[in-house]
Amino acid sequence: MSGFLEGARCSECMDWGEKRNTIASIAAGILFFTGWWIIIDAAVIYPNMEEFNHSYHACGVIATIAFLMINAVSNGQVRGDSYSEGCLGQTGARIWLFIGFMLAFGSLIASMWILFGGYVAKEKPIVYPGIAVFFQNAFIFFGGLVFKFGRTEDLWQ
Amino acid sequence: MAGVKALVALSFSGAIGLTFLMLGCALEDYGVYWPLFVLIFYVISPIPYFIAKRVTYDSDATSSACRELAYFFTTGIVVSAFGFPVILARVAVIKWGACGLVLAGNAVIFLTIQGFFLVFGRGDDFSWEQW
Repeated sequence: MSGFLEGARCSECMDWGEKRNTIASIAAGILFFTGWWIIIDAAVIYPNMEEFNHSYHACGVIATIAFLMINAVSNGQVRGDSYSEGCLGQTGARIWLFIGFMLAFGSLIASMWILFGGYVAKEKPIVYPGIAVFFQNAFIFFGGLVFKFGRTEDLWQ
Repeated sequence: MAGVKALVALSFSGAIGLTFLMLGCALEDYGVYWPLFVLIFYVISPIPYFIAKRVTYDSDATSSACRELAYFFTTGIVVSAFGFPVILARVAVIKWGACGLVLAGNAVIFLTIQGFFLVFGRGDDFSWEQW
């Protein structure tokens, strides 16, 4: 009886370990694309420049570029234990990842700035576009983090 | 024979999903056919998986970066299929009832596609010509 339970628990643990990358990828996809659909919603409902300044879209675009940059390098390349050096080597990977994270944090902070500086402090009647920009960037940021750190590279070998 | 039974069940649920979608479009109260564009999402949702399967050759690895990217994009397509009718309902192009029917159809059809891959996606020796 106890042996049976032990086997069941172990097999479940193995299953989770093998499925981990898949689940992390799906969670990251849900976060990332939900973020973009939130901003599409705001842009469709408020098409005018007065309610939703179109330049605020740059924030989400930068967040997306940061998402791509963060996930373009593997953790192995940064640590230097990958098989191939790549075109720039370990230092290049570190600088690339550093810039990527800077863009990610920068876009998140900028979205907060847009929410408070552009909508709350000016006491505009419609605050929803600012909230949408903030949530878009937050979702993309956390999607990037899940896609980067939720996956383990041991499963690739 | 099991493959045929699964195929019949999957086509039945696919037909139910398409019925939900058409109900959301064609009922007299609604009558707006814009939600039919989610059909595009249904068609392109398995494509990243096919590309990743063709690109990654070694099957002994349990996962690969390319396959995870494919899961990411497939998830994005599924989320888009759910987001699209919600946006249409929010700008009052379609009614919320139609949006609900389209979302139900979405869920059924994506479960059907998922079931298709669970039933027929296993085992590489099982080819399409066998049934």
